[in-house]
Amino acid sequence: MITIGKLAGLTSVSNDTLRYYEAEGLISPAGKSPAGYRLYGPDSARRIHFIKHAQQCGFTLAEIRELLDVRSSDKACCGDVRTRAIEKKLQIESKIRAMKAMSKALDQLISECANEKRPVEECTIIAALERANGSKRVQ
Amino acid sequence: MFYSPGCAACEDRQSELRAAAQEAVGGIEWRNVNVLENMDAAVELGVITLPAILIDGEVVFTSLPTKAQLRKALTERSGARN
Repeated sequence: MITIGKLAGLTSVSNDTLRYYEAEGLISPAGKSPAGYRLYGPDSARRIHFIKHAQQCGFTLAEIRELLDVRSSDKACCGDVRTRAIEKKLQIESKIRAMKAMSKALDQLISECANEKRPVEECTIIAALERANGSKRVQ
Repeated sequence: MFYSPGCAACEDRQSELRAAAQEAVGGIEWRNVNVLENMDAAVELGVITLPAILIDGEVVFTSLPTKAQLRKALTERSGARN
């Protein structure tokens, strides 16, 4: 059994983050020391690494909680995890597409504002953003 | 229907949903689309959960519906179109 400080050191995660994970139901201490400090079991570091890797792949904490449930479920199979991974990829691809559209809209605004010495009240970017029908262009 | 390969529920229910769709609207064209082979199309059409059922290119179900739910959605759209 290890303390929160030791677990934080082993996993390069702050004590506050570990407490947050606990509040979100992702980890729980196996017990408490006689002085009342949280004590974590031997699997905790592995669980924290799992959480960090899943976050790096874009999973939210709520989704990671589900993945952890699947991981410990006897009835689940790899296909359940794979479907979640494919769904995450779909969401990421969708965000990439939306961000590319935003980037393209910005390209257009930037190219239309060729004279950067003009006063701000004549700024074409400001004017384009203020135009009621400009939303089409920005989307 | 967009599905992920290995989705046991999709394989189990696909044929009964297809039958229900064909029963509800005559001449309907049902397509099973492997999302991994059609990722761009899925993203374009707004599919973000699996399985997803689209009707006329629009995401209508983000999980497998019951036969009754599918029939209702199809007949409503078919009625609105006619």
